[in-house]
Amino acid sequence: MTSYALFLGCTIPARQPHYELSARKALTKLGIELVDLENMTCCAPPPLQSIDLETSLAIAAYNICLAEEADLNIVTLCTGCFESLAIANHLLKEKPELKAKVNKILANAGKEFKGNKEVRHFLQVLMNDVGVNRIKMDVVKPLDKLKVAAFSGCHLIRPSELLHFDDPERPRIFDTLIEALGAKSIPYKNKLRCCGGLLRGYADDVALAIARDKIINAHNAGADCISTLCPFCFLTLDLGQMLIKTTYKEEYNMPIIHYAELLSLSLGVDPKELALEFHKVKTDTVLEKIS
Amino acid sequence: MTEEKLEKPTIEDFSREITRMLGGETITYCYQCGTCASSCPVAKTTDRYNPRQIIRMALLGQRYEVLNGDSIWLCASCYNCQERCPQKVEIADVIYALRNMAIREGNIPALYAEFANGLMSEGRLAPISKFLEKKRSDYGLPPLKPTGVEALKKIFSATGFDKIFFKKGEQP
Amino acid sequence: MEEAKVGVFLSDCGGQISKILDFEALAEFVKKVDGVTFVARSSEFWRGQGLKTITDAVKSGKINRAVVAENVPKISEIVIAKAVEEAGLNPHLVEVLDLKDHCAWPHRDAPSEATEKAKAMLLAAIEKAKLLEPIDKAEFPTVKSVLVIGGGIAGMQAAEDLAEMGFQVHLIEKEPFLGGLAAKAGRFFPTDDCAICIQSPTVDLKTVTHTSRKCVYRSGFSEIPNLNVLTNSKVVKVEGVPGNFKVTLERRPRYVSEEKCVACDLCTSVCPVEVPDDYNAKLSTRKAIYVNKPLVYPAAYVIDEKACKFHECAKCVEVCPAKAIDLDQKTEYVTLNVGSIIVATGFREYNPNVIKEYHYSEYPDVITHLELARMLDAFGPTKGMIVKPSNGKPAKRIVFVQCVGSRDRRWNPYCSSICCMISLKHATLIKTAHPDADVTICYIDIRTTGREHEYYYEKARELGVKFVKGRPAEILHDPATNTLIVEVEDELLRRLLELETDLVVLATAMVPSEETKKLAEILGLELDQDGFFKEYNAKLRPTETKRRGIFLCGGATFPKDAPTASLHAHSAAVKAAKFIMQGKIVKDLKTAVVNEDYCGNCQFCPVTCPYGAITLEPKENKHFVAHVSELLCEGCGICVGTCPVGAIELRHLKQDQIAAQMRALLSVNGTPKPLILAISCSECGNAAVDSSGMAMMNYPANVRVLRVPCTGIVQVRHILEAFKAGAQGVMVVGCKPDGCHYEVGSQKAKKKVELAKMLLNAYGIEPERLEMFNLVYIEGDKFAEAAKNMTEKVEKLGVLQLA
Repeated sequence: MTSYALFLGCTIPARQPHYELSARKALTKLGIELVDLENMTCCAPPPLQSIDLETSLAIAAYNICLAEEADLNIVTLCTGCFESLAIANHLLKEKPELKAKVNKILANAGKEFKGNKEVRHFLQVLMNDVGVNRIKMDVVKPLDKLKVAAFSGCHLIRPSELLHFDDPERPRIFDTLIEALGAKSIPYKNKLRCCGGLLRGYADDVALAIARDKIINAHNAGADCISTLCPFCFLTLDLGQMLIKTTYKEEYNMPIIHYAELLSLSLGVDPKELALEFHKVKTDTVLEKIS
Repeated sequence: MTEEKLEKPTIEDFSREITRMLGGETITYCYQCGTCASSCPVAKTTDRYNPRQIIRMALLGQRYEVLNGDSIWLCASCYNCQERCPQKVEIADVIYALRNMAIREGNIPALYAEFANGLMSEGRLAPISKFLEKKRSDYGLPPLKPTGVEALKKIFSATGFDKIFFKKGEQP
Repeated sequence: MEEAKVGVFLSDCGGQISKILDFEALAEFVKKVDGVTFVARSSEFWRGQGLKTITDAVKSGKINRAVVAENVPKISEIVIAKAVEEAGLNPHLVEVLDLKDHCAWPHRDAPSEATEKAKAMLLAAIEKAKLLEPIDKAEFPTVKSVLVIGGGIAGMQAAEDLAEMGFQVHLIEKEPFLGGLAAKAGRFFPTDDCAICIQSPTVDLKTVTHTSRKCVYRSGFSEIPNLNVLTNSKVVKVEGVPGNFKVTLERRPRYVSEEKCVACDLCTSVCPVEVPDDYNAKLSTRKAIYVNKPLVYPAAYVIDEKACKFHECAKCVEVCPAKAIDLDQKTEYVTLNVGSIIVATGFREYNPNVIKEYHYSEYPDVITHLELARMLDAFGPTKGMIVKPSNGKPAKRIVFVQCVGSRDRRWNPYCSSICCMISLKHATLIKTAHPDADVTICYIDIRTTGREHEYYYEKARELGVKFVKGRPAEILHDPATNTLIVEVEDELLRRLLELETDLVVLATAMVPSEETKKLAEILGLELDQDGFFKEYNAKLRPTETKRRGIFLCGGATFPKDAPTASLHAHSAAVKAAKFIMQGKIVKDLKTAVVNEDYCGNCQFCPVTCPYGAITLEPKENKHFVAHVSELLCEGCGICVGTCPVGAIELRHLKQDQIAAQMRALLSVNGTPKPLILAISCSECGNAAVDSSGMAMMNYPANVRVLRVPCTGIVQVRHILEAFKAGAQGVMVVGCKPDGCHYEVGSQKAKKKVELAKMLLNAYGIEPERLEMFNLVYIEGDKFAEAAKNMTEKVEKLGVLQLA
């Protein structure tokens, strides 16, 4: 059995137990063991990078050190965590001077970054460790009536030079995995464009305008739902629709569903076990198409 | 013109200062082609932000305007510009470098200070509510492991991260 | 060898330098030197009565070596050598030194010290002269024929020039037809005239009239005498030596006899296979047997191997009235013997697929310039109409995108230089023909640096072409309207635009032709950082290469417009002709020679020689020894500096001559300062020493200069010997590391100096007593400064005590 250290980050445990639940259930069903390590912290995402890049790099490295000590690779659910940790891992492996500098800082916390572990996103584990064929075989409730607007979020694919996740202009992995569930991954305008989530709290009007654009584009393309991989994208688009209602007087009722949830549902997990009440936009229309 | 701007007016000073920052190394590659601006989801939405213009101002030495303005905080860190830049300017990272500099001058948005305080006290950005803890156990999720906040504190004091906010606290 | 009788000729520069140097004392000094049989003084020795004094002394038998202290040594050396040769003395038995710039001028504030230094300089020249040996000339035959690789505009022009000059020319082209990129371009800027006339000779061969050019309708390229055109051909092997290359070509079958084909077109009417036409950017189709649009050379059809069904079908064979088709033709290998080779392989459009955000391969209405050029050609796939390839409907709105894959660190960092003009040309052609068309050019910088080019930009604005300063981020496609949307920031308005358009034309980077790298390997040529053929010297030898007898022209060295490619071609033709026109190369054997008894087969020298002049030749008992090609050797001495056992020497500067000069230069001090030996190369290094004197820079007379061809000759032992002979410090003065006239000599010297410093340290000698300096001619001030600093530094270190 393949084991990973599960890096939960901050947002998922604080706000989105439905993501964690569905991911844990799906991965367990697909034969991946998740290990919860002690002492993990925040990954040091963009807001902290904005304050101090060096400290952020050290925090990311500190968390990777914990995985190194446990002799496990890391899997993240949040794409933001994935980016922070994967970039730090990549940079520190590639740049000996930077590594030395960061290790000098880490020494204060009794850690040393060695660079012998990998940081993977949930999606990579599905693609590379589980495999599309296994997923296809294990699907008991194919989603063949569902038209999904795939939205991977920026930090899974960019900057591609450091993340090496997928082709930055023509990503295929997420769509392949959606289609493995029997659903159709539909094209829609500006599919790869950001949701604006990181501007929430600083420039809410701008963030909301960008999110609205995304919802409208998926809506116009006839999507049944938008599937996400990142808790920030989820929040921005799901909660965002409540704000769109009050600000723009528009109602789209576009369900935002984490891929892990779609996966769990197609693997036969009872929707009642998935804490779907944490969705602001109700998921009933999607569930109807799955039964 | 403000006093501060007159103190540090030269082009070389500011662009060199940026290139010495982590993340700011590539700023001088910029030849102002505008690919970043037309790739930017924020620039498409608001006039308040244009990555090309920020770099232009930075390269012209407009230190005060760049570090005290609103613009640098409007980057959504989507990296679309960086992906497409034909001169390989690491634009999103340059913005981080500029924000790092701005914060050292005491210019920090409230939200970021909140995040930093959360991190320094809890080891995570968002606190876990009692409600969530109960929901977790209701659904059979394992209890959350403690964070390594003590280790983080040692990292903060090594990089001077904690002092950034100490300074801020002194400000009126 | 007969005993050396040295004549010493002292020029006082019309009394100028005898104001500083005590010429009486110098004359007295040299008279006493052993071997000196004749001393004369004059105001100049390199012409007139002075020169006659030298030649008379030679003719009378009074001297058989000459030491001439003369100013303007670079010129006088040549003139005096020629004169003594005519007088019956081998020209290499003359040593010229410069008492003005190397002594009198820089030390004019200390005349007595300068006089003492002059004595040392004269002694060194005399001691060297006594050891000089005659050097012969050798002749190497050259074949009066030329191979031109590449049948585009540059190759064709060069071939025509050479053929007209009377050389046998072989022009080879990898495609079935001549013309290259230029023929596809349709029209040229800045004249807008049609491109196909490049396929005719510029001169009417019968009347030899002087019109601007000949229309291909009236005069065919095939009529040029002495010209052998081989299409479908490429070079696979080159052997031999410059002036006498043996070239092997691979000639792919055409399946149609060029001699028999009458171009009647019956074959295409029966051919059942229809494939996209590459020549027309796949915008139309052609048959498996085809000819590119009218007026091509050769005017014979060709069969597309990949498409033809051959004997399964063979309908064309049946129908051909001239019996010109042979489906069983095989690849041939042709061997040519040529004296010079010209590489004119051109460039090509970069495939813009890598810039995925422009969706070139996905959206049919996103095209390249060459594709647009084919559309604009009246003979082209759309008969001159501009259409949307997606549906064949007219394109009324056209957006050009500049710098696609060029000026881009991710793909090609350089500016392709011609794309701005191509866009301006196409935009004006379109606006002239269709004033209602909506034409926009998105640019980063518009570069119109050539003659008349800016007028094009003006004309485009007059015609209403719109210019948007900004590089588009993405091209989107709206399937509902089949419209393209170009997302771009108009930087001058600071406004984001979404330009709706029917057609997007990408001004792609221009990159080296395919197989450039392979050809470079075959020919032994270097490529530059961008993958183009590298010229020998961009400033002075723009069409020559490091390999003698091989020349470059046209887009093979960098993307060029037609006028520049033509100029370049004529230059290469002249250089190629010059190289072989005498039927022989005559050169002085100032080359390296190997002492085969010492050579240890270590393989250092063949690797080090920048000219590939050294090979290892088998001897008896499986023993190999280094062999120097006298044709290829440039006499730099880098091999001498590399050989660990001293098995190689230069004929023109033997080790004993170096040692004798060193001893002499350090034999007399006459100054209170420590003696410093500066070993300088004959190129930039010595030029810097010269210029410091010419510009009257001051430096102390304790610094003595020993000239070698290239600092690459310097061995660690030379440095140690200098200290042993009394030097308190040693300077090595060479060219800039990337500007060495012998490519790598300066870099080799630097390494030698570093090694010597380590050894000095081990011997207990301060390594600071040795320094390398890299200077150019205009840095005479830096030489003077270095000499002063070195002197001060060595003075501080105190007197060197050798155990």
